[in-house]
Amino acid sequence: MTKQTQKLILDIISYAILLLGAVLMVGPFLWMVSTSFKLPGDQFTKTLIPPTFTLDNFRELFSVDINFLLLFWNSGYISILITVGQLITCAMAAFCFAVVRFKGRNLLFTALLLTMLIPPQVTLIPNFIIFKYLHLIGTSVPLWLPAFWGGAFGTFLLRQYFLTIPRDLVDAARVDGASLLQIFWKIYMPLAKPALAALAIFTFQGAWNDLLHPLVYMPSVPNTMLTVGLAFFQTQMTHGGKFTVLMAGALISVLPLVIVFFFAQKQFIEGISLSGVKR
Amino acid sequence: MKRFLFILVIASLLLAGCGGAKTPAAGNQPVASSAPAVSTAPTEISMMMWGDPAELDVWNQIVADFHQANPNITVKVEVSDWDSYWTKLKTLLSAGTPPDVFAMDAPLYLDYQSRGVLLNLQPYLDKNPDMLNGVYPQTLEAYKTPDGMYGLPRDFQTIVLFYNKDMFDAAGVAYPTADWTYDDLRAAAKKLTKIGADGKVTQFGYSLDLWDFEPGMSEIIWSYGGDLINAEHTKTLVGAPKAREAFQFLHDMMFVDKSIPDTNTASEYGGDPFLAGVSAMTAFGHWVVPGYTDAKFNWDIAPMPNGPSGRATSVNSAGFVVGKASKNPDAAFEFLKYVLSEPAQTRLAELGFACPVLKSVAESDAFLKQKTQINQKIFLDSLAFAHMKPVFKGYDEWSSTIGDGMAPVWTGEAELGPTLDTVVPAADEVLANNQ
Amino acid sequence: MEYGLRPLGREKFWLFALLTPTFIGLIFGALGSVLATVALSFANWDLLTPPTWAGLANYVNLFKDAKLLLSLTNTIKFSAMYVPGVVIISLLVAVLMNRKIRGVSLFRTAYFLPAVTSAVATALVWNMIYGKDTGILNFILERLGMQPVCWLCTENAMYAVVIVNIWGAIGEGMIIFLAGLTAIPREYYEAAEMDGANGFHQFFNITVPLITPSIFFQTLISTINAFQAYDYIYMLTRRGQGDSSVPVVVFSIYRNAWNFFNYGGASAQAIELTVIVAALMAFYFWLERRYVVYE
Repeated sequence: MTKQTQKLILDIISYAILLLGAVLMVGPFLWMVSTSFKLPGDQFTKTLIPPTFTLDNFRELFSVDINFLLLFWNSGYISILITVGQLITCAMAAFCFAVVRFKGRNLLFTALLLTMLIPPQVTLIPNFIIFKYLHLIGTSVPLWLPAFWGGAFGTFLLRQYFLTIPRDLVDAARVDGASLLQIFWKIYMPLAKPALAALAIFTFQGAWNDLLHPLVYMPSVPNTMLTVGLAFFQTQMTHGGKFTVLMAGALISVLPLVIVFFFAQKQFIEGISLSGVKR
Repeated sequence: MKRFLFILVIASLLLAGCGGAKTPAAGNQPVASSAPAVSTAPTEISMMMWGDPAELDVWNQIVADFHQANPNITVKVEVSDWDSYWTKLKTLLSAGTPPDVFAMDAPLYLDYQSRGVLLNLQPYLDKNPDMLNGVYPQTLEAYKTPDGMYGLPRDFQTIVLFYNKDMFDAAGVAYPTADWTYDDLRAAAKKLTKIGADGKVTQFGYSLDLWDFEPGMSEIIWSYGGDLINAEHTKTLVGAPKAREAFQFLHDMMFVDKSIPDTNTASEYGGDPFLAGVSAMTAFGHWVVPGYTDAKFNWDIAPMPNGPSGRATSVNSAGFVVGKASKNPDAAFEFLKYVLSEPAQTRLAELGFACPVLKSVAESDAFLKQKTQINQKIFLDSLAFAHMKPVFKGYDEWSSTIGDGMAPVWTGEAELGPTLDTVVPAADEVLANNQ
Repeated sequence: MEYGLRPLGREKFWLFALLTPTFIGLIFGALGSVLATVALSFANWDLLTPPTWAGLANYVNLFKDAKLLLSLTNTIKFSAMYVPGVVIISLLVAVLMNRKIRGVSLFRTAYFLPAVTSAVATALVWNMIYGKDTGILNFILERLGMQPVCWLCTENAMYAVVIVNIWGAIGEGMIIFLAGLTAIPREYYEAAEMDGANGFHQFFNITVPLITPSIFFQTLISTINAFQAYDYIYMLTRRGQGDSSVPVVVFSIYRNAWNFFNYGGASAQAIELTVIVAALMAFYFWLERRYVVYE
């Protein structure tokens, strides 16, 4: 068997497995899409193609007296602020934890990780009370401000990636007289693009789908985030048994995330080249 | 030392947060006034409630009407869905910053009232002695406490029997009447149940929400002469012989006749097989009517059936309360008063989620003539034999303990009798903890 | 391990500056989350009246209450299946996705979809799939001549929700591993190919060792997620009033805190979870020192 045929066989097997997996992964999602184009009376039919194709669900969604543009805008700017804040501050901390030697490094890192372990259901009220003292309730500030003081998840994620970047690079740069900040900005940040992209995807998605925090910190409908707005009318849809409209709402809220993901994942290109980075 | 640290942390973090609830400031004491325009200075009050977009529309109108009648008072409305509402409300209360006016479901009322976060409305009511004259007395009951009322109802729910006329016609079964007994219901349900060749039920005669006592379950227990809880709220009675008989009746319908879907099956139809068009009858309150309006089949309502000990339904009301920390209690009360006025009650009646508590409006065309051609009067007439949905401190935990404990029975995974034997003591323990 | 750049002179200031946001976050987080939760776990607090000292009562209850013990067992069982499931499947998916094949962007997006879609909507779909009488899964089984299965009945519900939770988490795991894979220098594979190593060899001798930092990360994060899993379990196995046929600890934390006016009890359970996950974390870090290859 030649190299060529070997690669071909491997490719075919990969394709087959990925395709099968994709069916399992996307199946329920496709079902959701299909349901959102069905008539409410057809919502329990077992066909993927809607018996009667309709846009009524989307029409009903937008006929509700909620300013969806405002909800999208709120969700958008808050999620972007959170993502930017996390990328910057987590990268700063992760660099220190991964690359710089300083006293108390492990202790500090452990303390940081511990904050991630307490279920958010019980930390909500203490946090809320702190923000009350800061007079920030009823605004979006409590939602995005914490993103600018780092975070365990992002710091941990980037630290793990930074640790895999060859140390020769640092040593060589040090010999050339590069400063700490230069090493951070000129070597680590460019090389960590895939990890930064991953963090951006996670953070944006988490912020976009968050229901609990916008619920308690921001005023209610109409000036809130998309999740709260959708939850607000989900009751009506489930009471009316109109799951089709609920699915239409879910579909609309997921689209921006799919777009963000599609572009961000282009950062995951196969393998860095040592010769490429080694001057 | 540990204790000291504890107190320090709690004190610094929370005490100030609860301050509003703990120490009534002088301004919180109700100031006597009976004039409609309470203060001359413009005030803004916040009002929070659960609801959906249709309800928000109507409440925005009511608030606008109110503002027109009381130009000095502006009401800021905040609406969330049911689950979100309670989370948000509790967070605000715990931080000592509750809204001035907020919605309350009667069974949960004492959980808040007993913890001192609600304003006593009695002094205001004493100044307005005629205010509640036109209100159905059954809907006021829940809000009474030894030192007065801390809340006022806005609308109420009675449970009635909904039936799918098309299914009755197809099966040649006569529609439910006011003389129906539970045995009639069972016989009809049996006839309406269709079982396929593979043993699968494709159409059920009756379906009911087995998560809560209110729609369907408490009715039959009362009709059999049983009760849910004793008057002092110290003993759970759902394990007593009469209640057991009622449970057994439903259990037989589910597992012998197969005319009621078990809860696993019901959830396949989005939780409401009646609306999904696979169940011929169900028991609910007025809250389902807007959703059922668009149903693809013809349906109507009848009163709940008769049992060995007569007829029974449940009455429950939703209302409004005023936060004790409110800085504008006078304006807040004005709003509550307005909610009970004819214009506001008329708007609520037209919304059609519930029955208005003001008799004159309930009996007017605003409520009786609606888009759905059903006999709305049945909801009102049901008050004559209605029992109050229990209201006591710890209601949520108590009813959850029973609901959770009974859940395996309604999926067919546990026996009825032994389950009741373990559920009742557990529920009694909850009651003891909440005394 | 004690490798690291030494900050020179003024760089000490920059080090401090880079860490400042994290310091602020820690003070806030430690105060807002950890300290308050620890303090409240020793208190009776109903959210509405001032907390009172409860001593160890909330903790004693953790070991006394049969329901709480059951939920702890469930949480541990759930995690034992969920964590390896997520880590192994998403690693395999990522490795396949890391090849230069046509349409890989679309594949990646497809696999990521479950991770971003609203759980409320997808849970509804899964309910339609798992339904006993009307479900798609049983429909297929019957076509194949097999007996229908009650997927969401108590005896199967645990597996059913583990599957859905893994399904929802593969996308995230895949991203972690895809990012990790990009850090493996291409030269290593080229050298291995020269030596005639086949695909499996390459996977076990190059990919797996060099991806250990990501495996370590993903295992730890999956463990935390497993102990805090809530959405799908609730929406697929809900019965009674917010109870579930697969009650996990976070369930009773939620209900105690938000429905039953028992924030103290909820805090004690939160601390219980934290201690367990922290112990697991310590174990993972011990493994990390032995097996994880950096650089």
